[in-house]
Amino acid sequence: MKIEDVVCPFCGCLCDDLVVEVEGTRVVSVENGCTLANEKFMGDHRLKTPIRREGKGWKETTYDEAIRETAEILCDADRPLLYGWSGTHGEAQSIGIHLAEILGALVDNTSTVCHGPSILAIQEVGHPGCTLGQVKNRADVIIYWGTNPIDAHPRHMSRYTTFADGFFLKEAFRDRKLIVVDVRKSESANIADEYIRIQPGGDYAVLSALRAIVQGKRGIIPSSVSGVSREQLFRVADLLLSAKFGAIFFGLGLTMSRGKSKNIRNAIELTEELNRHTKCIISPMRGHWNVYGSNEVFTWITGYPYAVDFARGIAFYNPGETTSVDVLSRKECDACLVVASDPGAHFPKACAEHLAEIPTVQIDPHVNATTHLSRIQIPVAVTGIDAEGTAYRMDGVPIRTRMLFKGTYPSDTDVLDQLYAIVKEIKGP
Amino acid sequence: MKFLLNTGRTIRQGSYVERKNSVAYQEEATSLCMNPVDMMNLELEEGSQVVVESEQGSVVMKVHPASWITQGEVFVCLGPYANHLVNPETHGTGMPDFKGTMVTITPTSAPLVTVAELMERCGGVRYED
Repeated sequence: MKIEDVVCPFCGCLCDDLVVEVEGTRVVSVENGCTLANEKFMGDHRLKTPIRREGKGWKETTYDEAIRETAEILCDADRPLLYGWSGTHGEAQSIGIHLAEILGALVDNTSTVCHGPSILAIQEVGHPGCTLGQVKNRADVIIYWGTNPIDAHPRHMSRYTTFADGFFLKEAFRDRKLIVVDVRKSESANIADEYIRIQPGGDYAVLSALRAIVQGKRGIIPSSVSGVSREQLFRVADLLLSAKFGAIFFGLGLTMSRGKSKNIRNAIELTEELNRHTKCIISPMRGHWNVYGSNEVFTWITGYPYAVDFARGIAFYNPGETTSVDVLSRKECDACLVVASDPGAHFPKACAEHLAEIPTVQIDPHVNATTHLSRIQIPVAVTGIDAEGTAYRMDGVPIRTRMLFKGTYPSDTDVLDQLYAIVKEIKGP
Repeated sequence: MKFLLNTGRTIRQGSYVERKNSVAYQEEATSLCMNPVDMMNLELEEGSQVVVESEQGSVVMKVHPASWITQGEVFVCLGPYANHLVNPETHGTGMPDFKGTMVTITPTSAPLVTVAELMERCGGVRYED
């Protein structure tokens, strides 16, 4: 059976034009997908049953036993951490927040190690953004700053920018100018009209120089700023100033480098200054398919987008203190529930060591690095393949992912619902 | 010799991300991209094994030439191997310096380790699927 208009649950592009052929409980072909989508849909490497660590080995267990033990671990803990959430649907994220509230737990999502600094900057100076549809139809100058979409968001260019013809851009490849800013000459940089190679950690200074030029202060720019020549800075500023509609997309090259949230603040303020001359927008290239959704769901319920601490009985938010990497490296939490992410692979070693030391439980369809650090792993259905639910695209547009077949695994929502009920029963009214 | 370690997404890393116990994932996540001039200075061939060491720890990786990277910098895709070297200090932002770790690189004949072995070094117990 061929299913059309399937939504891809891999990256923040949430491409919704895939055609997937299903035979029984197996995907047999994918059309329109990128390499990452093909691997996601065609991959058949699920953990078969819940597993539980016993001594130096692992034993299979049942869902009921695994969920009951997880509830007991979380209720016994003084400072539990509920981490992950970006690889599942909004309905499951919502149960996670409510679970954190009755446990008095700290709940954090993967923004903490991707666009957390972008959120901090947006909280300071706002977000002049728009939907990707507007970019596709209107933007004639595109900047990718500290991001390599060809590898990380493979269809971003073909659906929304360089290779996507739009209402006002009939021949996008010729009509749109592409600027790539990066410390390394990535695949995306290879096809840019203008590649700006920045010295590592030099983004803040280059953004400041561009702001000065836009403000009409060309005379104060030195001959080179963080490895970028004055002539190139003038050329790029002129491209932006002469654009009808500029779109700046930025990635972890800004959020993880020296300056972090201040880099993003500077980039947003550059965008604001460009808007005194022409139209310009800025948006983060969100990585996990529903990481934006985790920020939305966290904010509706708690008022804060990530790193929310319920230890005081109310929602408390202080990134740098209540963020997962800080809490784990301080060895502060004494139990951890990981849902739909892999901190074992993506957190520094010191955090992985603490996850191994405390009772860690993982709810995830696949064996990953965190599996080896856990005491229990509960496999679930993959949202967008054998479970459905709501996700948010990187530009904040909610899209309903579909269930392509009914498999044998419970969804994240099923497992978390059961876990929540047991915790509520243990905690009492 | 000292280098600045940069990390980031690669399409191969993304392709194998749900198969972290696989050889393909291990090969990608232990691939260290280095400017060919730096490789010449260190007398390294493509595929040579090196110990990459930071203040946080050390891991064995395989060198690959990459003219797209500046001398003095190296690139490894995000994952458990690169993160074995990253300092957890976030400077009050919640975000570690994933793109700015100073590392020392020296040739070695020591073997690569699997993801499971690496997690065992962190105190875990390997699960073979």
